[in-house]
Amino acid sequence: MLALEQGPDGTVSMDGRLDAAQSPAAQAFLDGVQGTVTLDLSRLEYISSAGLGVLLKTQKRLLATDGRLRLTGLKPHLRDIFLYSGFDQLFEIEPARQP
Amino acid sequence: MSTRVPRRHLSAHDMEAILGVTSKLAAPFDLTTMLAEVVAAAKQVLDAERGSVWLHDAVADELVLEVATGIAPVRMPCGTGLAGACARTRQIINVPDCYADPRFDARVDKATGYRTRCMLTLPLVDHKNVLVGVMQVLNKHGGVFDADDELLATALAAQCAVALQRVRMTGALIEGEKMRQALEMARVVQMSTLPARMPIVPGYDACALFQPAELTGGDTYDLSLLDQGLLIVLGDATGHGIAPALSVTQMQAMLRMAFMLGADLETAFIQVNNRLAETLADDRFITAFVGLLDSATHRLRFHSGGQGPILRYRAATGAFERHKPTSFPLGAMPLSTLRPAIALDMHPGDILILLSDGFYEQCDLNGEPFGDARVQEIVHAHYSGPMAELLAQLLRSVEAFAVGAAQEDDMTAVVVKRESAVIGQSFERGFDSIPDLVEFTANAFARLRIDGQLLPVIDLAVEELFTNMVKYGTGSNAAVQVGLMAIDDGVELTMVDRGVEAFDITQSPDVDIDVPIEQRTPGGLGLHLIRRMADCVEYEYKKESRQSRIALRVTRAGMAARSAAMQGTGGGNART
Repeated sequence: MLALEQGPDGTVSMDGRLDAAQSPAAQAFLDGVQGTVTLDLSRLEYISSAGLGVLLKTQKRLLATDGRLRLTGLKPHLRDIFLYSGFDQLFEIEPARQP
Repeated sequence: MSTRVPRRHLSAHDMEAILGVTSKLAAPFDLTTMLAEVVAAAKQVLDAERGSVWLHDAVADELVLEVATGIAPVRMPCGTGLAGACARTRQIINVPDCYADPRFDARVDKATGYRTRCMLTLPLVDHKNVLVGVMQVLNKHGGVFDADDELLATALAAQCAVALQRVRMTGALIEGEKMRQALEMARVVQMSTLPARMPIVPGYDACALFQPAELTGGDTYDLSLLDQGLLIVLGDATGHGIAPALSVTQMQAMLRMAFMLGADLETAFIQVNNRLAETLADDRFITAFVGLLDSATHRLRFHSGGQGPILRYRAATGAFERHKPTSFPLGAMPLSTLRPAIALDMHPGDILILLSDGFYEQCDLNGEPFGDARVQEIVHAHYSGPMAELLAQLLRSVEAFAVGAAQEDDMTAVVVKRESAVIGQSFERGFDSIPDLVEFTANAFARLRIDGQLLPVIDLAVEELFTNMVKYGTGSNAAVQVGLMAIDDGVELTMVDRGVEAFDITQSPDVDIDVPIEQRTPGGLGLHLIRRMADCVEYEYKKESRQSRIALRVTRAGMAARSAAMQGTGGGNART
């Protein structure tokens, strides 16, 4: 399951698994964001190519209007997926915030 | 001589005497006190010198003289003497001169030196018309018993009979309650030594069940991890009640202690047998399976003292092996040597199945026993699932079989399964199956004890391959089969898709990850990732069945190597 939530500062947090089953809901949610948006992925457990597709589509749309997605809190095993897919080159990925 | 009871009313004085006695007879006395009260009442009301009460033993059809003033208990067949005649006819007998009556037995007088002159003998019959006994009153002061005395005695006898019967029944109830409490205590002792939880043995699923019968049976089991390996015990003491429950508990405790003190299988078996042979009653013994499983070499060695059948389900063939006991039941007689233990090598998926008689011999209403064919059927149907589920199913089946019939004996089951290395499941072709796939891989990892670090990679591979099959295998309705197997240092995933065109995933082109974002699409990314995150990927297509089979392996060593190689490339800055 996946839960998405936008905080008062505009940060969108993703909690759960962004797989093929959850991608349509995630896409619908991200279709509503504008400008430069921080995605807090510290509670994201899993992502597949379907989830990467959602992020890619959102990034392309925001870049067209001078916005973008900034990713934070990516867990190590998900960071590998970003590296293998070259997505580390498509997104600004901030190191996880220290508590 | 007997006289008819005249139809006369009791005087107020007599009535008062009888009522006084009646109120005493209502008190909660024990039998001895109550008999003394009855005799005292009879003497008082009838103004007699002595009295006695013979109780009727319905089983032996004898009269038993429990109390008579100064006379020891005596047994006498019904029909003999005046008391016996009264018991037979249930009629009052009034004999004014005993020595003139041929039914009178003078032996009691001779033994005691007392001389009986006259005697009134009357039946004690309770309100349910049950003969409780016979009362005799001897030697009326200053004369013989008359018709008034007969009337009084009859009224008194009715009260006495009811009072005596009440005391006898209360006594039986108290005895029953004492027995029930003792049984309950024995049951508590028996249950207290059973393992509180199932041991966790890497690569094994060991489970036991104990379903006590209402009356205590004599079953026990043990599943404990010791230095010598996994101790597996199933014991069944002969008989029902307190003794078997306690002796089987004693055996289980001795076995565990012997092994904890370092004994080997043979020593423990012989020593415990010999100790039981010394202490058990001559007609008692305990059938018991005692085994040790080395979970590293997968070798099970056991002795069985008369406990059988010992079943092993062979996963490779789907057949059952039966093993016989190696010795006579424990405690039957001392042992000095043993024939060699039976050794079984447990292969992946093999199950050792030990059930007490309570399972095999549980009958239905027609008296047909559950039997071992039904046991085997259930194992066949449930061998691939968790053993706790198999046992639950076994119990449900026995209960359904025996519906309406009482559980005669304890039911005890011990099953030990070597985990099969492969766990597989079929999934409906559709995105709705994705949550089930996630649950399946997590469960399979837990059951196969595969390192959870590898789970995200397998989840990714399963999802990417499965979604491809859903998207592109539109011509097929067949379910997709997914299998996971524990391999050295890792896991192998197999996915089989039927009724589809060939598509060799190992030959699909890599995604160019260096192009600008405008040219990037998600297409092909899944397979691209799988090839980078797995140690190896294989594809195989069978034309005749139009079947695609994909196998890939992931190991911890492979993952560490890839991770190390990645450290050099770094990453994290956007290039947009």
